[in-house]
Amino acid sequence: MTRLVDLFYRFLETLLILLLSGMAIMVFVNVVLRYAFNSGLTVSDEMARYFFVWLTFIGAVVGFREYGHMGVETLVARFGRKGRQICMFLTNLVILGVSLLFFWGTWKQLPINVSMSAPVTGLSMGWVYGIGFFTGAGCSLIALERLFRLATGRVTEHEIAAFAGERHGVDQHAERST
Amino acid sequence: MTLVVFVVSLLGAMAIGVPVAFALMFCGVTLMWYMGMFNSQIIAQNMIAGADTFTLLAIPFFVLAGELMNAGGLSRRIIEFAIACVGHIRGGLGIVAIMAAIIMASISGSAAADTAALAAILIPMMAKAGYNVPRSAGLIASGGIIAPVIPPSMAFIIFGVAANVSITQLFMAGIVPGILMGLSLIIAWQIVVRKDDVEALPKAPARERLRATGRAAWALGMPVIILGGIKAGVVTPTEAAVIAAAYALFVGTVIYRELKLRDLPRVILQAAKTTSIIMFLVCAALVSAWLITAANIPGEITRFIEPLIDRPMLLMFVIMLLVLVVGTALDLTPTILILTPVLMPIIKQAGIDPVYFGVMFIMNCCIGLITPPVGVVLNVVSGVGRVPLGRVVTGITPFLLAQVLVLMLLVVFPDIVIIPAQWLR
Amino acid sequence: QFNDRTIRVSNGVNADHPVGNGITAMQACLDQKSGGKLKLQAFWGGALGGDLQATQALRSGVQEAVVTSSSPLVGIEPALGVFDLPFLFANAQEAYQILDGEFGDMMNEKLEAAGLINLAYWENGFRNLSNSVRPVTKWEDFEGMKVRVMQNNIFLDTFQNLGANATPMAFGEVFSALETKAIDAQENPYVTIDTSKFFEVQNYITETNHAYTPFLFLFSKPIFDTYTQEEQAALRECAAVGRDLQRSVIGDLNKQSLEKIKAAGLQVNVLSEEEQQRIREKSMVVYEKHKDTIGADIVDSILAELAEIRK
Ligand code: NA
Ligand code: NA
Repeated sequence: MTRLVDLFYRFLETLLILLLSGMAIMVFVNVVLRYAFNSGLTVSDEMARYFFVWLTFIGAVVGFREYGHMGVETLVARFGRKGRQICMFLTNLVILGVSLLFFWGTWKQLPINVSMSAPVTGLSMGWVYGIGFFTGAGCSLIALERLFRLATGRVTEHEIAAFAGERHGVDQHAERST
Repeated sequence: MTLVVFVVSLLGAMAIGVPVAFALMFCGVTLMWYMGMFNSQIIAQNMIAGADTFTLLAIPFFVLAGELMNAGGLSRRIIEFAIACVGHIRGGLGIVAIMAAIIMASISGSAAADTAALAAILIPMMAKAGYNVPRSAGLIASGGIIAPVIPPSMAFIIFGVAANVSITQLFMAGIVPGILMGLSLIIAWQIVVRKDDVEALPKAPARERLRATGRAAWALGMPVIILGGIKAGVVTPTEAAVIAAAYALFVGTVIYRELKLRDLPRVILQAAKTTSIIMFLVCAALVSAWLITAANIPGEITRFIEPLIDRPMLLMFVIMLLVLVVGTALDLTPTILILTPVLMPIIKQAGIDPVYFGVMFIMNCCIGLITPPVGVVLNVVSGVGRVPLGRVVTGITPFLLAQVLVLMLLVVFPDIVIIPAQWLR
Repeated sequence: QFNDRTIRVSNGVNADHPVGNGITAMQACLDQKSGGKLKLQAFWGGALGGDLQATQALRSGVQEAVVTSSSPLVGIEPALGVFDLPFLFANAQEAYQILDGEFGDMMNEKLEAAGLINLAYWENGFRNLSNSVRPVTKWEDFEGMKVRVMQNNIFLDTFQNLGANATPMAFGEVFSALETKAIDAQENPYVTIDTSKFFEVQNYITETNHAYTPFLFLFSKPIFDTYTQEEQAALRECAAVGRDLQRSVIGDLNKQSLEKIKAAGLQVNVLSEEEQQRIREKSMVVYEKHKDTIGADIVDSILAELAEIRK
């Protein structure tokens, strides 16, 4: 099971690499076309934007799994193990709540997005805005799993430390200061 | 009263450890519940519409350019170039740090990445030369925070989009204040080290200097491409960002050959993750920003500070103090995203130049990166330089004061920002 | 029968645009009819999101109203593309007759099917071309000119067909692009050219009147349906009151703006009758190309109605 989950995240990471490379190539090609040949592909500007949306919301789930999202851990870091666990429980409850609302909102809004098409490519906006299903569901599942392990006392020390902001590397700090 | 609901729900959620992005969503939910307009579609729509903006595409490309610059050896050559130029002056390594920080700032927009690169190379050298290590670490951290003030800057892009202010103009307006921050650091440094017993590096022979310059030339070309392109109006910030990334990739792989193609996926993945962390936060902030606007919270605040509206300078002073206080606990991007929708209507009403305000606001938020208790750049320099956090805080104090002084100077003399900005526009 | 209601109206333009006068007049009318119970709360400069985003918020019943140009909404209702067609209306009177008449009602029905109630057609004004290169008085003068256009396929094709190098660009970037000569030209109504200070960085202006894209005063259908009949009627009537004032203010302001542009030293040109006719004929390929997307019946019916008016 763990291996399957890891494999899935590996897949998501590959997707992120492809999306960012794709965006860069599309915009770069357009710059070259525009300045060297006085022409441009309006399609690529639009697709780059949609890649960007998918990148953001797929990466948000990966980031949540890795405790990558920015937070203020000053207070939590002062608590003992018990206090930290309580905070972690409440935090995941809040995240579960807003993620479910995100999913639910995407569902309710689906009809008006499906019936709208992108100006250049004509792609249904359902494909773009539908990414809310993935992010809403993804974050809900991760939060639920954490809540379950917190309730059954199966949460690891490493995770509690990460939650309290004690295991951040330079990369994670870089993510926070840009 | 809506203001209280906004502040309590946001701070409450953050205090128990909810990441800022989710806390902003939670704050939005609380506001809509309080206003009697609970509707989950407000979340879904504002979240995703936030990422669907061409201007914000500059963020991933500048992040990527910065990652490629570090992985491709461009940062190291810039530091070597600075050493060859000013390493032999008294207090020289400190000046080297600031000079390199300013050059790197004109290529990258990340304070933490720049600080890490500087600290890794310079702290050991400074320790060996006999400089006080916590003080050196403090200097490097305060030099690192120039990155978001001098263009390119993710902070300006986010502010520009959130406040509807021209990003090109913000970029141009940031140059002079960024250099001033650097100069103030050099002055502060020369004052605090004047009695220290350190040995300056031997003066490099002209030939060696020329070689270092030649090696760094490719790296030094990057700011020219980025700023020149935007300034000449040949490219938009987004296009400049993608050109910068392509250039860094080319120099790192073909010229310096430090970046191997097999490392590329790792570098791209890191940039992708950084981007989505920033962007998810931007998107979540748009949910609460929509509700802040719909609930007219800026109007509520304006009533409190009514008497200040006619006195722009005093208003700026009060806002700068507020941002400094917020900055002790909150990092750059969240501060921009939370405060911009609240402050911008007030700034407009008071007739303050939005570009000037943007530069001051970002500068102030950057100072927040080195104020305890929460200061990401402090953590980076402490981690990379292996100096305990508490000692970094002691070491940084004179430089922190110098930068706050610059900030206050610019509050009193706004023309120092405005005139060069108009000239560069 | 009236209830206390706050109606949030979002606008892409600023409060000093004639839309502001229209909203004030509409509010005065609503005050009178509802005894002060129906309140418009206007948000300017896209504070509640862009026009398209706000329109989507209307369709999902999150927000009450928006005043938006028709152009960004073609992704929701392709038939609206008809208003983007080049040189469709010859003058404002024609536009009023079509929009306030049967054709306008037919478009309103289409919008209603998409969850949007169009209370009235307000005015954005005819779009004109300004540039920094040469006076434009005939078809050939467009050749090779770098013109900024909206991100809209019909506008793109219109200018490409004229021989110009059409470049889609966000509105916010236009001024500095003109200033640095990254682009030569832009096209907008006089009022916008004035308020956005484009004239400061341009040398020539031509009254091309190449497009009249109306403003729509859209209301959320899901919310509208919960209102009483009296409230609905008051909103429709007062939106028309606001429209009439807004149209007259924009007419005056257009003249003022043109004077200001002239005073700034720009050379003002008009297209001769024959040249206008020539360009209109040459632009028919754009009509043909987009007929299917817009709907052939729509294009045919508006052309037929216009022919009727012009008799
Ligand atoms: Na920078
Ligand atoms: Na801080």
